[in-house]
Amino acid sequence: MLVELNNIFKWVQQGGQRIFLLKDINLKVEEGEFISIMGPSGSGKSTLLNVMGMLDTFDEGEYDFLDEPVHKLKEKHRANLYKQYIGFVFQAYHLIDELTVYENLEMPLLYKKISGSERKSLVADMLDRFNIVGKKDLFPTQLSGGQQQLVGVARALIGKPKLILADEPTGNLNSKQGEDIMKLFQKLNNEGVTIIQVTHSEKNAEYGKRIINLLDGRMV
Amino acid sequence: MLKNHLKIAWRNLIKDKTSSLINLLGLTVGITVCIVILIFVQYESTFDAYHENSDRTFRVVQHNQLPNQVLYWNTTAYPLAEALRNDFPEIDKVTQVAGPFTRTFQIELALDKKVLFEEPDVMFVDAFYSQTFDVEWLAGNETTALTGMNSIVLTERLAQRYFGFDASSYQSAIGQPILLQGKDPLTVTGVVKNPRGNSDHQYGALVPYEFFKKNNPYFSGNWSGNYQGTTYLALNAIDQKTGVESKIANWKSKYLNPQDNQRISYYLQPITEIHNETLYGPSPGGYIMPKGILKMAAVVAFFILFIALINFVNLVTARSHARSKEVGVRKVMGSSRMQLIAQFVWENCLIILLAAILSIALTQGLLEVLNNNLTIIDLNLKFKGIHLLFVALLIVLATVVAAIYPAMVLSGYQPIRALKNKAQNTQNLTGELRKTLVTFQFVLVQLFVIAAIILAFQMDYFSTSELGFNRQAVVITENPNQEKATVFREKLLTEVDVSKVSFGSGPPMAVNGIQLGTNYRLPEQAETEALDAEMKIGDIHYLDFFGLELLAGRNFTKNKETFDEFIVNETLLKSYGWTPSEALGKTIQINEGQATIVGVVRDFHNNSLQYEISPCIILNWTYFMQNGFIQLRNTNPKSLENIKDTWQATYTNSIYKRQFFDDAIAKEYAVERLTFAGFGTFSVLSISLGCLGLFGLMSFIVAQKRKEIGIRKVLGASVLENIVFFSKKYIRLVALSFLIATPLVYYGMDQWLETFTYRIQPSIWMFLFGGVVTFLIALATCSFQSIKAARANPIHALKEE
Repeated sequence: MLVELNNIFKWVQQGGQRIFLLKDINLKVEEGEFISIMGPSGSGKSTLLNVMGMLDTFDEGEYDFLDEPVHKLKEKHRANLYKQYIGFVFQAYHLIDELTVYENLEMPLLYKKISGSERKSLVADMLDRFNIVGKKDLFPTQLSGGQQQLVGVARALIGKPKLILADEPTGNLNSKQGEDIMKLFQKLNNEGVTIIQVTHSEKNAEYGKRIINLLDGRMV
Repeated sequence: MLKNHLKIAWRNLIKDKTSSLINLLGLTVGITVCIVILIFVQYESTFDAYHENSDRTFRVVQHNQLPNQVLYWNTTAYPLAEALRNDFPEIDKVTQVAGPFTRTFQIELALDKKVLFEEPDVMFVDAFYSQTFDVEWLAGNETTALTGMNSIVLTERLAQRYFGFDASSYQSAIGQPILLQGKDPLTVTGVVKNPRGNSDHQYGALVPYEFFKKNNPYFSGNWSGNYQGTTYLALNAIDQKTGVESKIANWKSKYLNPQDNQRISYYLQPITEIHNETLYGPSPGGYIMPKGILKMAAVVAFFILFIALINFVNLVTARSHARSKEVGVRKVMGSSRMQLIAQFVWENCLIILLAAILSIALTQGLLEVLNNNLTIIDLNLKFKGIHLLFVALLIVLATVVAAIYPAMVLSGYQPIRALKNKAQNTQNLTGELRKTLVTFQFVLVQLFVIAAIILAFQMDYFSTSELGFNRQAVVITENPNQEKATVFREKLLTEVDVSKVSFGSGPPMAVNGIQLGTNYRLPEQAETEALDAEMKIGDIHYLDFFGLELLAGRNFTKNKETFDEFIVNETLLKSYGWTPSEALGKTIQINEGQATIVGVVRDFHNNSLQYEISPCIILNWTYFMQNGFIQLRNTNPKSLENIKDTWQATYTNSIYKRQFFDDAIAKEYAVERLTFAGFGTFSVLSISLGCLGLFGLMSFIVAQKRKEIGIRKVLGASVLENIVFFSKKYIRLVALSFLIATPLVYYGMDQWLETFTYRIQPSIWMFLFGGVVTFLIALATCSFQSIKAARANPIHALKEE
C-alpha cells in the first residue's frame, strides 16, 4: 500500500470555534493509481494534497506512507521520506526565476547528494524525454506557461518518485496546453507512476482512473 | 553545491542592481572607514615599539614638588645619565639626548659655492644612543661614529639633499665637511636610515653629545636645572623597573642638593607609553596622541561599521519577502534548513567579500590622501600585510552579524505558506527588529552630528574668543642678532604697511611649545616656597604692541643687561593677595635674579585655552629677545616680501622664517582640530550611510506594499496621505533616536569639554539643530521613494497575481 489515511482530521481555531479543514478522511492509494480530487473552492482539496505530501500537518488520525507511520515520524525523517518518494507539481509552476531550465531540473538532485556526472546524465535524460533540450539554457520567464509547466513536471519526475502530487497543474494554462499536460500525466501513469491531482475541471478529472469528491472537508 | 550557491548569489546580485549597489556601497564605505581608523589607531599606539629593546627601555621622568602643585617633566638634569651609568650595574644602557634643536649647516659644494641649510631636527646623542634604540646604519662605523667630538651622522634624507648621494654611494659621504652654525667644522662619519614615521625620535642629523657638552658646560654639569636633556635607559630585564626606581629614590641625594632632593623624584616611563600619555608631554620634536582619543577613534570605527552592517541586515531581511517563494520551492524539492542557511550565508558573504576587496583598494588610496593632506600631524600610514588580518576579522564580524541572522530568518519560512505568498510569522519579528536597528542606527548618526556641531562651536570659541591681547596681522620673525634689532626696527618702520615693531622672548600666548619657566618667591621666603611662573622678556614697545593693559604702574623705560624691573599679571598677585597698586614697588626673587615690580597688567591668556592663565612675569632684560614682532596695516604679499628683504639685508648669513601669530595660535589646538575634522567627516559619512539604508529600506517596503497603496488610492487616499502613511513609521524612529541620543551626547560632550579650562556651554538649540537636520534629511530620503509609489497608477498594482 502506497498511501493509507485513516480518520484524518485537521482544524483551525477561529474565535473559539473549531473550523474543520479535513473531517474524517479515509483513503487508500495503491501504486499505479491515477486519482483526481475534485470539489468546490475551500472544500479542502489542496489541504488534503499537502497532508499527503507531508508539507502540512494534521491534528488527528493516522497516515501510513509505504507502511511507515508518518504521524509518528520526526520532521527530519518525514522530509527524507517525501524527498525520496514524492514529486510535486504546482499550479503556478514555482520554478526558480534565477535558474535556467537545466539548473531548475538539477536542483532536487543537489539536495539528494547525487554525484555530478550522474546529475548530468539524469538531467540530460529528462530534457530528452520531454523534448526540451533546446530550452535548457533559457530562464523560466523566457518560456510560455505550458513550457514552464512541462519543466515543472520534469523537475517533479527527475528524482524518480513513486508518487506525483499535482495541485491544479493546468489552472494557469489554456485548454490546449492543459490537454498536453494531462496526456503527459496519462502517459506517465501508464509507465507506472502513481499520480494524485487536484482539479476543478471535469474534463481533466476524467483522465484519472478514480475521482474523489470533497465538500467542506469531507469525502462524498 | 557551492558553485550552485555562488551562481545564484551572483544572479541575484545582478538582478536587483539598486539594492545590491546600495549594499555594496554602504558596506565598502563602512569597512574602509573602519580599517583606515584602525590603521591610524594602530599606528599611533605603537610609537617606538619597533625598537628591539622597546619592552625594557624607559624614559626617565621627573616629578617636581612645588608648594602648591607638582610639575611633571620629561627632561632631567644633564649629569644624570652619566651618574646612572656609573652607579647602576643593573641598568644595561643609559643614553641621553639633547634636542632636536634648529641648527644651520653650511655645505661647500664646490670652491666658492657654499649653500646654507637650516634643519629643525638636529639631535645631540651620545655613543650609547644607537645601542639603546634601533638605528639602521647605511654607512660609517656604528661604534665610533658618535664618539668623536666633531662628527655628524646624516640621515638618508639629508645625505641625498646635501650631496646627492643615493644608496650606492652613501659610503662616499663619509669624510665630507659640514660647517655647523657658521663656525664649527664637522665631518660626516655615518649615514643612517630616516627614522620611522611612528617614532617620537624624529631627527635629520645626529651630532655627538660631547660636542653639545663642550659648548654648554654650565648646563651639562648642573644638577639643579632642568635643561632639556632627555634620559633613556634600558634595563637588563623588565621586572627590574620598580627595584631600580626605589633604588634611585635613595641614591639621588648623592648628587642633588638637599632642597632639590626633597623636591625632585625620578620615575621610569616605558618608551612605548610616551606617545599616548599626556602627563609628561612629548619629547621635543614629538607630539602626543592621547589614549582617550585613540579609544574614541576605535569606538567610532566600529560605530560606522555597525551603521553600514545595519543597512545590510535591513536590506537583506526586507528583501527576504521576495525570496520566500524560492525558499518554499527549495524546501519542497528537499532542501534542509541548514542547506538553505548555507546558501543565503554564501550569498551575503559574496557581497561582504566584494565590499572587502573594494575596501582594500580604497583604503590604500585613502591612506595616501591622509598622508599627503593631513597637515595637523605628520602621518606615514601604510597598508601592510598585518592589516589584511583586520580585514579578515571584519569580514568574519560582518558575516556573523549581518549574514547569518538574515539567513536564519529566510530559511525558517514554512514552505506552503511561502509558496502561497502568505505573510510569515517571522515577518512581524523582523519588522520589530528592523525598527530597533533603524533606531539604533540613527542614535549613532545623531551622536556624530550633534557632537560635530558642539565641537564646531568650541573650535569657533578657540579662534574667536577674546584673549586679552592683539593678534591680528602680527608677523613673528626671528631675531638672531640682538645688536641688529634696533636697525631692523628702524628700517621696518619706514615701510608703509608696517605700523609697529617690538622684540621679545615670545608673543603673549606661548606658541610653538616655547615657554620660559622660572620660579618666583619673596626675597625673605625660603627656596622651597618658590612657585612656578612663566617668564617673558619684552622690550619697551611690547605692552603697546600687543595691547596689554596696565592696571597700575608704568611700562619699562629701558632693557638692561642686568634686569631690574618686572611687570607682572593679575594671577601672580593672587599668590600674595595684593591689589595691583599694592604690588608696585615690591621686590620679587626669581631664578635669574631679583627686581622690583613697576607695573601690573590685566590678565591675558598666556596659555592656550585648554589651560588656565598662569602667573607671568615680564622682564626688562636684553637676553632671550629671540623674536621680532611686526604689526602690519594690511597683509598683502608685497608687504611680506618687503619684510623678508629687510630682514635678509639686516641679518646676513641667517635663514628667514616668518609665521603669522594667528596661525601659531591655531596650531596649539592641533588635537582638537583633528578631533573636529574627524567628527565632521564621520557625521557626514554616518548620515549618508544611514540615509542610504533608509532609501533602500523604503524602496523594498514600497515595493511590498504596492498593492496596499493601490487599494488606498482607489478608496480615495491622496498622494500626500499615502506619503505620510509610509514615511511616518520610520520618521517616528528617527525622532525617537533623537531622544535617546541627546542625553548620551550631552554626557559625552560634557566630559570632553571638561578637559578645557575655557569652554562653551552646550545649549539646547545645538542639539535641536542636529536633530532637525538629521530629521529633514531622513524625511527627504523616505519621501523620495514613497512619492514615486504614491503617484503610480493603482490599476497596475492591483492587476498583479
